[in-house]
Amino acid sequence: MHNPYKPIPMRIARTVVETDDQSLKSFELVFEREADREKFFAKYRPGQFCQLSIFGKGEAPFGVASAAWEGDFVRFTINKIGVFTRAIHKMKSGDAISMRGPLGNGFPIEDWKGSNILIIGGGYAFTTLFALAQHLLAPEIRSQYNDLTVIYGAREPGLFLYKEEIETWYKRDDINLYQAIDRPVEGWSHFVGYVPTVTKEIAPSAENTVSFVCGPPVMIKFTLPVLDELGFPPERIYTSLEKRMKCGIGKCGRCNVGHKYICKDGPVFTFAELRELPADL
Amino acid sequence: MYKVLPKTDLPKLIGRWMEQATVYAPVRQGDFTKFEPLSDPAQADLYYAANTRYPPKSLFLPQSEVMFRVKDGEFESTEDEVSSRVILGIHSCDTRALQLLDGVFLTGDYQDPYWAKKREQTTLVVLGCADPCETCFCTSVGSGPFDKRGADVMLIDIGDEYVADVRNEKGQALFGHLPDASRKQIDKSRQVQAAAAAGMKKPFETEGIKDKLYSLFDSDFWPKIQQSCLGCGACTFLCPTCYCFDIVDEAQRNERVRNWDTCMFRIYSQEASGHNPRPTNTERVRQRIMHKYAYFVELYDEIGCTGCGRCVRYCPVDLDIRQIIRSAQAWEES
Repeated sequence: MHNPYKPIPMRIARTVVETDDQSLKSFELVFEREADREKFFAKYRPGQFCQLSIFGKGEAPFGVASAAWEGDFVRFTINKIGVFTRAIHKMKSGDAISMRGPLGNGFPIEDWKGSNILIIGGGYAFTTLFALAQHLLAPEIRSQYNDLTVIYGAREPGLFLYKEEIETWYKRDDINLYQAIDRPVEGWSHFVGYVPTVTKEIAPSAENTVSFVCGPPVMIKFTLPVLDELGFPPERIYTSLEKRMKCGIGKCGRCNVGHKYICKDGPVFTFAELRELPADL
Repeated sequence: MYKVLPKTDLPKLIGRWMEQATVYAPVRQGDFTKFEPLSDPAQADLYYAANTRYPPKSLFLPQSEVMFRVKDGEFESTEDEVSSRVILGIHSCDTRALQLLDGVFLTGDYQDPYWAKKREQTTLVVLGCADPCETCFCTSVGSGPFDKRGADVMLIDIGDEYVADVRNEKGQALFGHLPDASRKQIDKSRQVQAAAAAGMKKPFETEGIKDKLYSLFDSDFWPKIQQSCLGCGACTFLCPTCYCFDIVDEAQRNERVRNWDTCMFRIYSQEASGHNPRPTNTERVRQRIMHKYAYFVELYDEIGCTGCGRCVRYCPVDLDIRQIIRSAQAWEES
């Protein structure tokens, strides 16, 4: 019988310090075994997560921050905050690490071919949204969707993730990018203001549009009414949830919201689905 | 198929099983009994009153279980390190619990190989419960003292003999060689079964309990009923259907293990950011009750409680789940 708790061996191929405050780092992991790589990419879609494992420090779940076409690696962007994340922040390219996944449902992007896509992200919750945007920007995939709009807010310019890649988006005509920071900073030529305000200002059309919204709870709280006003029904607003997890496969019990397990039934839900669940977040 | 076994022959039969398998049975330890592997058939105590203090769930989900031995970064799985076992004298409530947990561990996209292997390697010789005690309420939650679901064999005590209702091939392997029970013995076993269930009170109604609990999610009901709860988690550790676990690395032993965990502890849902979706006892008590009487029902169409009564019997402040469900059913928002 397959053992879903058993991690596979990986290696860190590259690390990137993402933010000026050094608190967020990206890790690009490559597979030690070809069969594992094939299995992973046969299943992976943006919005899914993996359990990373450093023996002795335990396991922790992280959303995948890369699209399959980017290469044979899997990217994770990790905030230095707890025992596991402090340990991984000390690791370097060439180091061995273990992984389980991909886990969870991911963004059901295939259901929305022919639609406009609106991505709204705030702070370091942008990781799986970045994977989604990157996925959509692959030439053979991009043509299957209409307009692609990304609204991405951070407290200050130095806290944006994936700065180099995102800079290239400005040069493309198949993605509308709106970056916003909280307060004016010299040299900043994009938006200034909180994500909900900027969203209201840009006012993307809700017609034939599906939205994907991830960010800190306070951003979500104030963005939802704006989307509602713009005419987005809750069935067309997706978000990704986080909770403390252990097994990642719906067995260990702790990440439930009502009868749903975030690891197995999520982490992606529509707000219509969340309305049906008890408020246990 | 009904077989008959004189009680005096039981030790011999156990001895025979012990040649092939590890046999677990309730063994007296001071003032309580606990399922232990037998080294001598005489250790088996099938006359234990009420229930064993610990449910036999630990024989399937050990309190601490090695999942992997880790060598040079390779995780070597341990699920195959279990051989043939017989559990003798398990009651229907605890057997039912194993069946309910099969839903958790063996259905859906992922199966738990540790649970699966132990279930596969185990024969359950269930002892029907002729004398349910004060704290038992199996009949209120869709079961009964002689519920045969999940049993490989059901033993019914008819006085000097046991009538063995052999349910399948696993049971046949242990009891097939015994003489068939007579018509009279089978009739007597039916009387015993009917009398046991008839004598049990029904402390609450489960009709509509799921929807009622959902409707109370944000109500004053939970702050009120949790007031005396210490959050000690004893109810969850002794509960045969509580299965939540933590996964930790024992680096010095080179093992990744899973340990029982409990939704009654703050740290269970505490996130690295500091946020906790269940910051007080109110949310935690609500989670425990709603998991069993609402979420489990939603997922498996069964109540996730078997009425074994351990949480009632061993709660240090006498919180009684029967009373909680009764109060929930009667609760009206002021």
